[in-house]
Amino acid sequence: MKYDVVVVGSGPAGSVTARYAAASGAKVLIIERRPEVGVPVLCAEGISKNVDNYNLLSGTKWMAASMDGARIFSPDRTIVKLAAELAGAETGYVLNREFFDKELVQGALKKGASIMLNTTAIDLLKNKDTIIGIKALQFDEHLDIEADIIVAADGVESKVGRWAGINTTLKPHDLETCTQYTLSNIVVEEGYCDFYLGKKIAPGGYIWVFPKGKDTANVGIGVLASESTPQLPLKLLNTFIKNHPDLKKGEPLRFLAGAVPVAEPIPATYDHLLLVGDAARQVDPITGGGLMASIEAGKSAGETIGHAIELQQFDQKTLLPYEEQLQDTLYRKLKRNYVVKEILQNFDDKTLNMLADSLKNYKFDELSTFSLVKALVAKHPSLLIKLKPLMRLSKL
Amino acid sequence: MAKPKAHINQILCLACGGCISVCPQDAITMNGRKAFLEKTKCISCGICINTCPVGAIDLEGKK
Ligand SMILES: Cc1cc2nc3c(=O)[nH]c(=O)nc-3n(C[C@H](O)[C@H](O)[C@H](O)COP(=O)(O)OP(=O)(O)OC[C@H]3O[C@@H](n4cnc5c(N)ncnc54)[C@H](O)[C@@H]3O)c2cc1C
Ligand code: SF4
Ligand code: SF4
Repeated sequence: MKYDVVVVGSGPAGSVTARYAAASGAKVLIIERRPEVGVPVLCAEGISKNVDNYNLLSGTKWMAASMDGARIFSPDRTIVKLAAELAGAETGYVLNREFFDKELVQGALKKGASIMLNTTAIDLLKNKDTIIGIKALQFDEHLDIEADIIVAADGVESKVGRWAGINTTLKPHDLETCTQYTLSNIVVEEGYCDFYLGKKIAPGGYIWVFPKGKDTANVGIGVLASESTPQLPLKLLNTFIKNHPDLKKGEPLRFLAGAVPVAEPIPATYDHLLLVGDAARQVDPITGGGLMASIEAGKSAGETIGHAIELQQFDQKTLLPYEEQLQDTLYRKLKRNYVVKEILQNFDDKTLNMLADSLKNYKFDELSTFSLVKALVAKHPSLLIKLKPLMRLSKL
Repeated sequence: MAKPKAHINQILCLACGGCISVCPQDAITMNGRKAFLEKTKCISCGICINTCPVGAIDLEGKK
């Protein structure tokens, strides 16, 4: 078996890379260890409406609900509302991720890619030190699949990278450890994604309520692994739901455990090998959102691969445009937000309450750094010191 | 006596991959939708134990 490209993993990073590579003429195979694309869902399913700009989706099954804005709840439950009509706030969708992932894969298949399910990558195929393909296990059969380029889109575990000798290990303070219920029979504020902050609520992370319809929502928690103890995310989430008037009568339709990298992106381009998506730690470190990042990076990776196949050159230098094209867009944002994440982590509950109190009536349509700072400091002057590190970022 | 190693209760594991991504020894692998630990690689650092969101990992011999 010989392909131009083997993509390991059929999540958004893998399928979008495969789509753009196949569209530029490459012979692409996706291998996926699961028996069904997109199942089980390991996600809160929130995405920005920027996804519309890529024209990757058709139909409506992938979308569960449309969002007009977000509400942030401080530890003392002061609400800061970021609404759609206000500049700067991103509107979005809550997805049905099993259909979303399937549509993205179908998009790649329509461009000529193929896929093998129940097929687990177990090692790189090498000739001396050169990567020449992937070793996989399909049921009990060992397969050696040759390829000029391997795409590691294998998610948070990022094992393919490790086989190539890349250190993909996450530090505990760069991982959110998560659980989530999809709760039915609850009262939801339709059109708003809710975020609850606080050291006692979710140390180093937050609790989210993302509505999927009139009486259903994804209710989940992320805790920074460095601040977690065994089972802490599950215990904190159960306590939160039990004490929340709108949620406590809820009944679960789905339960999941998940892991989200909140690190800086790692170098992702090597001879014959690209890392894309969670595997490359391309996730917004503040929100833990990785879907848009995977799509952006997947497009760049796929297009670059197409070019490399045309040239029949597969070295790092030929493949580097993949990351260079992302430097001023995706990577700039991810690196800046990593610094912000580190700063926010040091805010205690009192600071978060003061912030929320200053912002609760703030008109976000005049979103300039200066007016924002004025609003914050007018009410709570002591915030100035806490916010100083953030000010430096306005230059980034 | 050797330090007790990490032990994964496969019945509780929900295959989130968290433990795999933080293990400094690359001692854990997903196998048939469950995390499996290669004991000889484990250095008993305990990182995976605190990371597991559902409490599926423990120290060997602990009840
Ligand atoms: C609880 C939770 C909530 C989240 N909420 C959001 C959100 O609301 N919005 C958002 O934007 N992001 C969210 N994320 C992050 C988002 O899910 C990821 O960033 C996104 O799925 C990354 O896509 P990916 O293609 O890189 O990886 P994945 O979607 O994880 O896909 C990786 C694929 O590779 C396969 N695979 C792995 N190893 C192998 C192997 N050896 N052989 C073959 N196949 C393999 C896996 O089975 C999987 O299908 C959340 C994550 C979690 C855990
Ligand atoms: S205890 Fe440390 S070395 Fe052992 S499996 Fe867990 S994380 Fe890896
Ligand atoms: S962290 Fe826990 S639930 Fe997640 S894969 Fe490891 S053992 Fe399983």
